[in-house]
Amino acid sequence: MQLDLIGFTKRFDGTPVVSGMDLSVASGEMIALLGPSGCGKSTTLFAICGIHRIDEGRLMFGERDVSGLPSQRRNVGVVFQNYALYPHMSVFDNIAFPLKVQKADKDQIRRRVGEMAELVHIETLLDRRPAQLSGGQQQRVALARALVRNPDVLLLDEPLANLDAKLRLEMRSEIRRIQQETGLTAILVTHDQVEAMSMCDRIALMNNGRIVQIDGPTRMYRDPMDKFVASFLGNPPISFVTPEDLPCFGAPKACAEIGLRPEHVGPQFGTGLTGEVRFVETQGREDLFDIALPSGRMIRSVQPAGSGLRPGQTVDWGYDAAELLCFDRQEVRL
Amino acid sequence: MKRMNWLGLGFLAPALLVIALFFLAPVIMTGFFAFTNMSTATGITGGDYMLNKSALRALGDAGLPDATLEKLEDAGYAVDEKGLAALAAQIDQETADEFARLHGGESFATRRDVERALKDLRQNRIRKTRDRKAAAELFKRSVLNERFGTEAEFRAALTAGGIAPRDHDQITAQAYTGWVWTTENVELLFTLPSTWRYAANTAIYVAFTLSFNVGFGLFLAISTFYLPAAQAATFRAIWFLPRILPPVLYVLMWKWFTWDTGFLSTVTGWFGMSPKNWMLDSPTHAWTTIVLINGFVGASMGMILFASAIRAIPASMLHASEVDGANRWQQVRYIILPQLRWPILFTTAYQTLSLLTSFEYILLATDGGPGRATEVWALAAYHTALNNYGGNLQYGLGAAFALVLVIIGILASLFYLRLFNFRQLVGKPLIEG
Repeated sequence: MQLDLIGFTKRFDGTPVVSGMDLSVASGEMIALLGPSGCGKSTTLFAICGIHRIDEGRLMFGERDVSGLPSQRRNVGVVFQNYALYPHMSVFDNIAFPLKVQKADKDQIRRRVGEMAELVHIETLLDRRPAQLSGGQQQRVALARALVRNPDVLLLDEPLANLDAKLRLEMRSEIRRIQQETGLTAILVTHDQVEAMSMCDRIALMNNGRIVQIDGPTRMYRDPMDKFVASFLGNPPISFVTPEDLPCFGAPKACAEIGLRPEHVGPQFGTGLTGEVRFVETQGREDLFDIALPSGRMIRSVQPAGSGLRPGQTVDWGYDAAELLCFDRQEVRL
Repeated sequence: MKRMNWLGLGFLAPALLVIALFFLAPVIMTGFFAFTNMSTATGITGGDYMLNKSALRALGDAGLPDATLEKLEDAGYAVDEKGLAALAAQIDQETADEFARLHGGESFATRRDVERALKDLRQNRIRKTRDRKAAAELFKRSVLNERFGTEAEFRAALTAGGIAPRDHDQITAQAYTGWVWTTENVELLFTLPSTWRYAANTAIYVAFTLSFNVGFGLFLAISTFYLPAAQAATFRAIWFLPRILPPVLYVLMWKWFTWDTGFLSTVTGWFGMSPKNWMLDSPTHAWTTIVLINGFVGASMGMILFASAIRAIPASMLHASEVDGANRWQQVRYIILPQLRWPILFTTAYQTLSLLTSFEYILLATDGGPGRATEVWALAAYHTALNNYGGNLQYGLGAAFALVLVIIGILASLFYLRLFNFRQLVGKPLIEG
């Protein structure tokens, strides 16, 4: 189902938290609402599922205007950050709850819960209580409950935030698999760029209650619209220098700052960047270098492990001129 | 014991003392009193030995022969110091002196003989028959209505009265006016029809008040939960008023409300009904009033407890249920109520105990009336032991009433302790695996 959010504004005590936001999600597409804390991404999600009222604007599920409907009648499935499972019900009853309140008949409930349990691989856990499950299992139950009603839209609010690193990796692909198997339109709210990039078809990057850029992960990474997008995406993050720091690079006149991603700095790009190694962070497969330029500005570089460089050494490295990102004084990409 | 433990005990000592004095001692005293026949009549210290008419009747019922009873009542007439002194006070010294000279130390079998002797006095003859009769009565010697300080004195008097020694024990026991150990109170509790009535009243009182408390408390908690915060706070404050009002004032307001010249009667009077006391005119009305009086006070506590328990439910869980399609009623039924299970159980448990022993609002409102329709167990204990209409306060029986409550209370507490401990076992958080 296609989802359209048109001119959405949300205020808390008169202060706009999200203002005039437009978002269009194609049917079967999974999109990430990515942004720092307080950017309005969760507010947007809660407005879509009906927990927050939409102060201005419209929300369309396909041809259906659901802006004024209470959450009960929107037919959305939501996975909450803390899963919000009902602790006093068994896993079966948790998954069955959306059908039970619709007064579906028992056989249908049993069949449907069975399907969902199979989909998320928890067939053996149906008799347990949520407290007897691990975090990953609770996550699967929450997913099954969100999907059991065949929702028009699946909303995921930081679904992986409460999992440990290994489980997070596993659930990332699981959620993507389930979303693709069910063909649901899904919105994922996250502050983790890796999650957003690895799971979603497109990313809507938000800042201060507005969407800054909507694009596919690769495009957004390589072609950011402004300095915020460039700095938000990328781990280790991008470094910023002035044109004076790169005298060999013919920066445009309007260029106030130049962004250099760590992977585009190194000996393999020739010379021209002289600096002192200040800090080396070993990450196993690769090393991360902090290099102080003569002007005092720091740049980062990722290099395959085993370079043998120590802090205090001076290096003369190059950069990939084709990948440099130039920004003007308004921090807009040139 | 290690020094640390002594130190701890030292710090605890004041608390232990208070517990012993104000918690343990009353319970022990109750148990102790329950097995005595203490009352105003016996006092709570020792007693004297005295036979009165009713004691005599009791002895007769117990099978003492009539001859012995007569002897107890009438041991003849003796001209002794005591009688002469009384005579001197009633007539004059000369008469007494002459009587002593003529008959001092003699005994007479009947009053007629004494009267004759008095009539035959030479110098100070008592002329009026009525005076002679009264004077003769002064020499009557009987164990009856005479107070003896010790058992030995009483037994000596019995011997002097010519009572057969084999009857002495029985008569002495009957004559003792102090308290004695007895299981009579417990037997009485089981045999008196009024006790069963009080038990039934207590059951009615606890069941209805508790249902009202918990039900209304739940209703208030849930309804205020869905109100905007400011309105909810105002509402809760209003419902909390009865609890912070002095009970006497609060009940007085109810009395004004229900009196035959009060609010209800005035309003119903507009529709042509004759004024009446809406509280006491029938047992049903009395019960309704009592349940409401207690219920409104109790509901405020349930409300506060339940409201905070509802607010402790994670918001996301309520959101989830809304998103899952549950309407308000389903949200209350399937999400909120199950999570209030333990607070409800706790309130029920706690209030059962406090309602069992509480009677102050009933005392102030109906005082057990009309008749004994609203007399609950605790109130009966109070009435029996401390505020008896007849004037004879039966501490022993009252204590027996109270002892039953103590036993029920202890058993219920033990049961609840197990129950709530069980809760901790079930609720043990599992570490993520």
